[in-house]
Amino acid sequence: MNKFFISLMLCSFVSPVWSAEAMLETFKVDTDLPAIARGVDDLMNNCHSCHNLKYVTYLDLAKLGIDRQKIDGWRGDQPMDAPLASLMSDEAAMQSFNLVPPDLSLMTKAREGGASYVYSYLLGYYNTPDGVTHNHIFPATKMPDPLGMSTTTDHAQREEIRKTAHDIVSFLSWAADPHEQERYRLGYYVIGYLVILTLLLYFVKKQIWSRLK
Amino acid sequence: MTNKTINWIDRRFPFSSFVKHDLTEYPTPRNLSYWWNFGFLAGFVLVLQVATGVFLAMHYKADAGLSFDSVQHIMRDVNYGWLLRFMHATGASAFFLVIYIHMARTLYYGSYRAPRELMWWTGQGLLLLLMATAFMGYLLPWGQMSFWGATVITNLFKATPFYGEEVVTWLRGGFSVGDATLTRFFSLHYLLPFLILGGVAVHLIALHTVKSSNPSGIDLAAKDNIPFHPYFTSKDFYGLGIFLIVYCLFVFFLPNSLMEPANNIPANPMQTPTHIVPEWYFLPFYAILRSVPDLVGGVVAMGLSVMMFAFMPFLDRSRIPGGASNRPMVKLGFYLFLINMLVLGYVGATPPSNQTILIGRVATLFYFGSFFLIPFISKAEERWLIKRGLPAELKELMEREAREKIDLPPHRRAGDDK
Repeated sequence: MNKFFISLMLCSFVSPVWSAEAMLETFKVDTDLPAIARGVDDLMNNCHSCHNLKYVTYLDLAKLGIDRQKIDGWRGDQPMDAPLASLMSDEAAMQSFNLVPPDLSLMTKAREGGASYVYSYLLGYYNTPDGVTHNHIFPATKMPDPLGMSTTTDHAQREEIRKTAHDIVSFLSWAADPHEQERYRLGYYVIGYLVILTLLLYFVKKQIWSRLK
Repeated sequence: MTNKTINWIDRRFPFSSFVKHDLTEYPTPRNLSYWWNFGFLAGFVLVLQVATGVFLAMHYKADAGLSFDSVQHIMRDVNYGWLLRFMHATGASAFFLVIYIHMARTLYYGSYRAPRELMWWTGQGLLLLLMATAFMGYLLPWGQMSFWGATVITNLFKATPFYGEEVVTWLRGGFSVGDATLTRFFSLHYLLPFLILGGVAVHLIALHTVKSSNPSGIDLAAKDNIPFHPYFTSKDFYGLGIFLIVYCLFVFFLPNSLMEPANNIPANPMQTPTHIVPEWYFLPFYAILRSVPDLVGGVVAMGLSVMMFAFMPFLDRSRIPGGASNRPMVKLGFYLFLINMLVLGYVGATPPSNQTILIGRVATLFYFGSFFLIPFISKAEERWLIKRGLPAELKELMEREAREKIDLPPHRRAGDDK
């Protein structure tokens, strides 16, 4: 019987989701506040002029513990419960890019490969010899290289861009699933409780069945 | 509760006799293995789905313009809304997993044999209702995969003779999947679980009439039956604990592994996803659909592939009870069929290529072929096993069964002569 449950669990871990064709860079999301705070700062500077985060409000940022002065700087005269709406109108975006830049609230959950995809995509820009910028991960992209990866050759600067991308994606991961850490914390208690409960139920069952001859 | 109260109730409602008949004195074979836990687990998941669903419906908005946002509202703002939603979404997968194991057990031990045909057929009806409920529920988040999954599946009704287009339009409430489709799917998604509850009641009444089968396949003598409570209540609760551990691992640590990334993008009728896949529990049937080059043929094949199980009591011609525990061919066939299901599932999950189409067709042929061969194989296997010599207790039971068949009143009664 134990064999069955172990194999059941093993089978369950085989995800039906196949990874994207292009090789993604391995990426580990940072869940500590300083990284997320740096990430939102970088995002406001590099992404927010075109991209919405309609499911994240300034109040959410304040509750998370982002510096209040920074929040007030970003939101200007908008109320605290306003979403992080981009500075660009949909019409203006249509004119410049012929499409509305996608909302970023769920971006790390909305692509195969998740956070690693977004990270690899941000760093995936390169210049062809004839000076055209392309992206390894998403060749059809219309987004201009936001972090300047394609034009930077200096090693130290490239590392700096990597760090920025890392922080931005860490923030986006929080934005896509703000209760994730709470879920894990609660999960350990729930699983712990269930393991003890199941052990007790096993002994109850054993005790009751021992009455049978 | 005092005796007085119970007496008062008993004079008006058969409470005590119900508890006695169906719980404390309900005779259950003592040799049931843990594979017999899954019926109870299915009932538990059903209650869990209804309970979480009722609370989700309090915060969900069935409106093409609002539903995606309302799901995010549940995930972010509603207190423990994320927990409710992940429990409900994971619960759907858990439901199918439990039901498939429940069905596999029935097939393995031949529990569908007389006198349990009605249990098997009510179960088949419940499976169809479950599939319909799951399919409709999947539209509600109004993501890309919701929208395109519903578009593909409702499109299959084009196969209806003469009125194909009209039926599709009628089902969707418009020429394409839209707000009307969403609201009707929500309404039905809330209704069908209660039909399932009714079906479960019928399933259980049938069960308590014919009683549980058991791994030996032989109806046990009274001394080998034990009361359901406390023996099987304690066993079921222990099994429930194991189930909950696995379930909660997914709810708390891997909830997104069961969700399609594309469903985190709001439905967009102007943009088809590159690869439309159903949830894992539909993959084998989806593979069969795609294996037939013709739309009508594919739909018929897919419908049949789900319904084939209902024919099992007729297809299995062997009189030897106990399924795989007494019949080596059943055991072999069962595992081959299971592997074939996994192959079909793999084919259903991958984008069609020449290679996977070929594999899918072979697996589809094997799927139906195994059902069509069962009458011949089971008959031949019976002859072979009898020639080899059956254990005495099996022989005795088969003789008893044969006698009882002769004792049955003939199908045509005296008054029917004309």
